[in-house]
Amino acid sequence: MTQTIPTKPVVSWGPLGAAVAVDHLEKQLGSNKVLRGISFQAHSGEIFGLLGPNGAGKTTTLRLICTLLAPDAGAVEVLGFDTRTAAQEVRRRVGVVTAEIGVYPRLTARENITYFAELTGLLDGQLSKNVDAVIDRLDMGSFATQRAESLSSGQKQKVAIARAIVHDPPVLMFDEPTSNLDVLASREVREFMIESRARGKCVIFSTHVLHDAERLCDRITIIHEGRVVASGATTDVRGKFLDLEDSFLSLVDAP
Amino acid sequence: MSSAGIVFRKEIREILRDRRTLIAIGLAALATPIVLFVISQVSTKTASATYTAGYSGSLPAGLDVLFNATGLKLVPVDDPATAAKHQVDIGLVFTGSRVDEYYDPTRQSAQLADVRFQTVLSKYDGAKIAASLQQHGVDPSVLDPLPVSVHPLSSPTVAAGNSFLSFFLPYILITMCLTGGLSAALDTSAGERERKTLESLLLTPAPRNQILVGKIVAVTVISLAAALAAIASMLIALTQIRFGGAGGAFPVQLSADAGVVMVWLAILLAASFSSVTVALGTLARNFRQGQAYATPLYFITIFPASIVLFIPDFNPNLAYYLIPILNAVLVLRDAIVHGAVNWGALSVTSISLVVTGALSFYAALKLFTREALLVRS
Repeated sequence: MTQTIPTKPVVSWGPLGAAVAVDHLEKQLGSNKVLRGISFQAHSGEIFGLLGPNGAGKTTTLRLICTLLAPDAGAVEVLGFDTRTAAQEVRRRVGVVTAEIGVYPRLTARENITYFAELTGLLDGQLSKNVDAVIDRLDMGSFATQRAESLSSGQKQKVAIARAIVHDPPVLMFDEPTSNLDVLASREVREFMIESRARGKCVIFSTHVLHDAERLCDRITIIHEGRVVASGATTDVRGKFLDLEDSFLSLVDAP
Repeated sequence: MSSAGIVFRKEIREILRDRRTLIAIGLAALATPIVLFVISQVSTKTASATYTAGYSGSLPAGLDVLFNATGLKLVPVDDPATAAKHQVDIGLVFTGSRVDEYYDPTRQSAQLADVRFQTVLSKYDGAKIAASLQQHGVDPSVLDPLPVSVHPLSSPTVAAGNSFLSFFLPYILITMCLTGGLSAALDTSAGERERKTLESLLLTPAPRNQILVGKIVAVTVISLAAALAAIASMLIALTQIRFGGAGGAFPVQLSADAGVVMVWLAILLAASFSSVTVALGTLARNFRQGQAYATPLYFITIFPASIVLFIPDFNPNLAYYLIPILNAVLVLRDAIVHGAVNWGALSVTSISLVVTGALSFYAALKLFTREALLVRS
């Protein structure tokens, strides 16, 4: 369904003009209390790192931001839109790249991207323009007409990125995007994040690879057992420690 | 284009590129003619086959002619009872005043030979009695005090054809409406989760009910195509294949009314089954698990489809037409056999199937919109 994106948000933008504002977020999945009052803000033109060990609640947080899950308590605003009351508006403004590179194997790379562009509500002229642009930007021309089943992992990851950004969303979220990729493909993803920051996007980067976070992120929040244990500029969080890993280990009380 | 239309177009494109679904539809179109061809070959062979009757003793005069004319070959043996176990189809011991017959009922050839032998005996007895009556100056017609002349109001062969169709056509329609789109249904539901595309799909602004509608309509179209392909090929095959003893091609007369009823029921059944199978696929983590969930559906659908075979004269009251699947079988049977539509029964059946489809869609939507859909994956 094609809908016009309102020029003004239905509510005021988050505190301090944050692109994404997460406020005392709580979420229980089954008997597991995954999030216990998470708060942070991510801004346009920065790469914001969401760090934590496996099971800390990073993916759940991202799913709450992009409206796939609903919060039990607390609130999330994306560009001023409340995720509980304006879910569709939020989804129009968010692009998500996950660790699991799921593509439709019997569609070509271009068809995969076009499908998601159509579902985002892009109209015919804009649609083909955006699809062409994203194929060009990610250097996918050589395999755009190949079926996805015949693509390499790196090429599939490009398709996954392309479909997430084809509608040119102001907020991009990357959930462990390099965990299944080789060195070259990982580097391309990192470069893409840096480029997106330069284009004024709000990039949220969820990872447990601290080396990547230290290199890329302007600010970070470290989550452990559903709570924020540290938050701030990357250099501030690293503090007196040699690197982010030492800082992280001290924060989560690891031996 | 609406989100449902976008999803529908994409699903159809993917399904048509899926070898499993294409093979399923191809087999649906080929399976029935092949089965009918095999049946025709077996029936022709059975009708024209000669069976052996091992005998001992003195054969009554003239009986050998009747044996030959009925397709029974007489073979002299020492011990007919022993020979009837394997060597011949039936064993006969002729004594002066009687005949002892030996046959093994577990052998089909022995059963058929026995039927032919009874025919031979009936003709022989009739001829002997008539000759004896004539010898004593009595008119043999005294044995037939109330002669009957039969005047069928419709062609018995057409009636036999319709009777055959009234079982076979609903059976194929229902099983193909289910199985024709099953692979596509699981691919479009459980397959999304297995391929890890579900989360990306749900991240789009497209409303989930529209996504689901697009998927279900695509599966419905495939189910319908498979069912109609199977039925069309069956009807064509029935006009071409000759069955032994029928004396020609099988007479197929599907009235226009019955054809319209068949297509209407096929649409309702395909839509209902598609909703159910997509719902089951949504529950499953992968394609294989989806198949396991869908297996009981075969039994649920085949049982009502078979009821016409086991109870051919089953004429229930209108309340029975509320039972999904069974109602479709009964309406279609009546339309084929009588060449007319029972509008009351068709209305109740349509309402029942629409409600079933709506409930199935509601269940699928509830499953498709719950958070556990993502968390489980």
